[in-house]
Amino acid sequence: MVIQKEKKSCGQVVEEWKEFVWNPRTHQFMGRTGTSWAFILLFYLVFYGFLTAMFSLTMWVMLQTVSDHTPKYQDRLATPGLMIRPKTENLDVIVNVSDTESWDQHVQKLNKFLDPYNDSIQAQKNDVCRPGRYYEQPDNGVLNYPKRACQFNRTQLGNCSGIGDPTHYGYSTGQPCVFIKMNRVINFYAGANQSMNVTCVGKKPHHHKNKGKLIPEDGRDEDAENLGHFVMFPANGNIDLMYFPYYGKKFHVNYTQPLVAVKFMNVTPNVEVNVECRINAANIATDDERDKFAGRVAFKLRINKT
Amino acid sequence: MVGGFSILLWVGAFLCWIAYGIQYSSDKSASLNNVYLGSVLVLVVILTGVFAYYQEAKSTNIMSSFNNMIPQQAVVIRDSEKKTIPAEQLVVGDIVEVKGGDQIPADVRVLSSQGCRVDNSSLTGESEPQPRSSEFTHENPLETKNICFYSTTCLEGTVTGMVINTGDRTIIGHIASLASGVGNEKTPIAIEIEHFVHIVAGVAVSIGILFFIIAVSLKYRVLDSVIFLIGIIVANVPEGLLGTVTVTLSLTAKRMAKKNCLVKNLEAVETLGSTSIICSDKTGTLTQNRMTVAHLWFDNQIFVADTSEDHSNQVFDQSSSTWASLSKIITLCNRAEFKPGQENVPIMKKAVIGDASEAALLKFSEVILGDVMEIRKRNRKVVEIPFNSTNKFQLSIHETDDPHDKRFLMVMKGAPERILEKCSTIMINGEEHPLDESTAKTFHTAYMELGGLGERVLGFCHLYLPADEFPETYSFDIDAMNFPTSNLCFVGLLSMIDPPRSTVPDAVTKCRSAGIKVIMVTGDHPITAKAIAKSVGIISANSETVEDIAHRLNIPVEQVNQRDAKATVVTGMELNDMSLEQLDEILANYQEIVFARTSPQQKLIIVEGCQRQDAVVAVTGDGVNDSPALKKADIGIAMGIAGSDAAKNAADMVLLDDNFASIVTGVEEGRLIFDNLKKTIAYTLTKNIAELCPFLIYIIAGLPLPIGTITILFIDLGTDIIPSIALAYEKAESDIMNRKPRHKKKDRLVNKQLAVYSYLHIGLMQALGAFLVYFTVYAQEGFLPHTLINLRVEWENDNVNDLEDHYGQEWTRYQREYLEWTGYTAFFVGILVQQIADLIIRKTRRNSIFQQGLFRNKVIWVGIASQIIIGLILSYGLGSVTALSFTMLRAQYWFVAVPHAILIWVYDEVRKLFIRLYPGSWWDKNMYY
Repeated sequence: MVIQKEKKSCGQVVEEWKEFVWNPRTHQFMGRTGTSWAFILLFYLVFYGFLTAMFSLTMWVMLQTVSDHTPKYQDRLATPGLMIRPKTENLDVIVNVSDTESWDQHVQKLNKFLDPYNDSIQAQKNDVCRPGRYYEQPDNGVLNYPKRACQFNRTQLGNCSGIGDPTHYGYSTGQPCVFIKMNRVINFYAGANQSMNVTCVGKKPHHHKNKGKLIPEDGRDEDAENLGHFVMFPANGNIDLMYFPYYGKKFHVNYTQPLVAVKFMNVTPNVEVNVECRINAANIATDDERDKFAGRVAFKLRINKT
Repeated sequence: MVGGFSILLWVGAFLCWIAYGIQYSSDKSASLNNVYLGSVLVLVVILTGVFAYYQEAKSTNIMSSFNNMIPQQAVVIRDSEKKTIPAEQLVVGDIVEVKGGDQIPADVRVLSSQGCRVDNSSLTGESEPQPRSSEFTHENPLETKNICFYSTTCLEGTVTGMVINTGDRTIIGHIASLASGVGNEKTPIAIEIEHFVHIVAGVAVSIGILFFIIAVSLKYRVLDSVIFLIGIIVANVPEGLLGTVTVTLSLTAKRMAKKNCLVKNLEAVETLGSTSIICSDKTGTLTQNRMTVAHLWFDNQIFVADTSEDHSNQVFDQSSSTWASLSKIITLCNRAEFKPGQENVPIMKKAVIGDASEAALLKFSEVILGDVMEIRKRNRKVVEIPFNSTNKFQLSIHETDDPHDKRFLMVMKGAPERILEKCSTIMINGEEHPLDESTAKTFHTAYMELGGLGERVLGFCHLYLPADEFPETYSFDIDAMNFPTSNLCFVGLLSMIDPPRSTVPDAVTKCRSAGIKVIMVTGDHPITAKAIAKSVGIISANSETVEDIAHRLNIPVEQVNQRDAKATVVTGMELNDMSLEQLDEILANYQEIVFARTSPQQKLIIVEGCQRQDAVVAVTGDGVNDSPALKKADIGIAMGIAGSDAAKNAADMVLLDDNFASIVTGVEEGRLIFDNLKKTIAYTLTKNIAELCPFLIYIIAGLPLPIGTITILFIDLGTDIIPSIALAYEKAESDIMNRKPRHKKKDRLVNKQLAVYSYLHIGLMQALGAFLVYFTVYAQEGFLPHTLINLRVEWENDNVNDLEDHYGQEWTRYQREYLEWTGYTAFFVGILVQQIADLIIRKTRRNSIFQQGLFRNKVIWVGIASQIIIGLILSYGLGSVTALSFTMLRAQYWFVAVPHAILIWVYDEVRKLFIRLYPGSWWDKNMYY
């Protein structure tokens, strides 16, 4: 037997809809009478009010387990990452020497970034610490804060300090400064009491395809050759132990992150150069397969000269 | 079922691939998650399809097909020669010869026959062998005696005939094409599933579009918004449900097979549950399909014999010497014998050579007197006249077992009125009394009474032949009839019936209380049909037919108010003269209906009539002729023992024991599965919200994504599968056989209340609980909730490797990603923990969990254990496989959502409490699903 499907005309459908929206016989709006709507709205008001309260309560209880000063767990941050300044969209520093616009934004960013490092501000806010030693400020049972921070003076960055620098960190002359910084991790004793420094090489970044295989020698050489000679500030790219440990934003109010500036003196112009900088520290592994920024940072450098 | 649901999944899969395509075109390194998701969806569709196919193939294989009925060879006279050719080479006009035991090779017009009898049961349902001769007796080809039908069997004799129809043009071929012509309509459960898909798709698409608009107005790129839209739609597809429904149905099918209902079509499992009218055969289904002695009349008294299946309890008075004589006649005047080699078979189950009433008498005497063959041996048979339709009696002469009594004993049985004619005396209390007017009257009263019960009545009489006239050496000649056949001594009456199965009255009562109308459709005589209907309760004890009322009030039938009668017996003849409207009127107005003397074709008309009443109709049948009705019915039930292959082919279900009571158990299972499917779907739908909310929050508030698509798949196809199947094992909450059958159009599988309660109540609570776990993980790692808002863009930027958290620590992208996976795992565990609570609350819809018993359904606990174990394996076993985005989760995070889980349980108990306290209230209407 053929299923007799009632074919409804368009008019009927509209009629049915009209009746659904407002049924004059039963005084139902969208299938419910006024009282029914009132009931249902009241119910949901109460119900969702209760749920909100319940959720807020459990969230509040949860937040009680979290300290405002130090995180409960830090297992994910065993190895601090490295990062560069100026911060760019794709981790590439492209400088068109002749085109002021191209590097001016980098310069603006760097100026802003380095402002807190001005010697005057440092002297005013931070301590002069003994180099080569951790600057520990234990609580000893009583909270002792704000913690003091050690001075990192802008002048320590030498030619890259940008103070009275007509070359704008070298960007106007095609000898740009790139600043390396290590991610802050609370209570991390970087270097394990031994000195540490940052080194940079020209090197193609790892690709998954090359996993386990040696990078072709010529590829590495090419980048290394193109990179040319560079200078580091402070000398050797040293990072002093006195800037550690970090006690967190709330405790360590004026903490100044140590920096290493790298000034690339004669990068082969008009080619893209891959640079990798890594930190050499006893307790920072830099060979994490998955995390490409654990203890190292890779970026691209391109100086366009006409 | 497969149609609507798989289409949803297919659409989901294609959307996934399209999403990937869009992503890929804008970013070559786009994540492959969407491709995986799409492939898994397709895999799910294919696997469930294969599974369902396998299930059905398994049960269909048990059925043989029409092919088995085709006779292989036929003897044909061509060119004046007898040839044996394959039956399919026969043409109209061929002269064929068929002998006993052969199948008829085509429709054949009989030219000549010798004692030919055919078994037409597969065609017409008549189980009595039908004589065939060249005589034309009826206009209707099915009734006339001179046509043998294709595929029926010639039992004895030989017949020569001319082929008049072959192949599809035969009567049976016609029926076969009729059966296949009856459209396969959608089963109720398929309609329900389709409705459910509409709801799910509706929710998915409307939420999707809503958030597409929101995303666009939040200034997301249109491309991203489209991907969000697709994501939302896909998140709403319950991937595991299709498989779960199939498994649940096949589990029930298995359970029903144990109870002798073999389900061919999985969806029929539920159809049986929504049945509102059962059209049942009488013979074999309601009755034992075995003539049995029901009443005896001797000494002017009616005695009742035990007609139960084992005959064990014969309580009538056996002390009278009339009984001794009667029992002797019953034993001796009987040609039936047990088939050899059945020593260990209970008497009632032994196979007998001989016709149905003789077999009944044989078993009856064997049960009461012991070894009948031994008694017959002691009373050697001298001569006998077998029963024939002109004599209407059977006679035999025996030597007696008393060595001093040299007389011969003549015993006779037959149609009571013929037997009485031959008698001049009647035995009362062992003594012969002359047969006078008054005794003849008591005889007639008894005869009428037994006949009125729809029973087949036989009279018994005997005569001791005087020894002087008939010495030991006397030679009896049955042709010359050189012995007296009148002035015998009437001993008693015995009536037989095919008694109802003992379980049937209960089953009918159950149907009654379950709101199912039972209609009897039989080819039998109306009186017999009515008697059986009364004895099994299809016509209840206190209801009357129009004729009954007329009889009681002593007025003509026409004067009786039709409305006073609750029951009616309609014969096939009456049905023929009825218009469809009149039939509808009868079906609508009478509660108790018996159709008698109906042909199998009329069954189809009755079924269609019932369906016009919007009823879900179950029909039983066994003959080939029933197959159109079986096909047409919402659920066709074929008889496993008596049924023909064609009937089994057309049916959705096969009753292995031919017992009506099995249908009722089937109904019970079907209703239970409907309830349990409701619970399963409610359980499955709930977590959809918990899986969807993260995505919405991600779009609106810009949190790092709380749960990934792969993780969602692990819930939908991993942890949730066994628990949702476990709900199929849930016992009924209350007596499901005490409520009306569900209304096809009103009582939906997935109704508004179910969707609202699952999505907006429990689902939302679950989402909150899972978010709590998520926020806890992030907060304890350094990202407090407020820092997460609008963090999305930076969080996902591969080139930001010094993202600051609440404490001033800086995170690389990979460190964040790992935290994000931990968040996925946390959200997953949050949903998992609350799904355990959800599973427990879904055990009941109305009763408290404690009324239902927390531990009665052990499979639920297997389900919970499976959830936890799969969760543990994913988190700890595969924690290092980052492709799956699972990480090792700290043990305490498993307990964060527990308060929310408990809240879910408590809330649902409160809901159920109010439903039980205030039935019919606003709460009940809005909260009961």
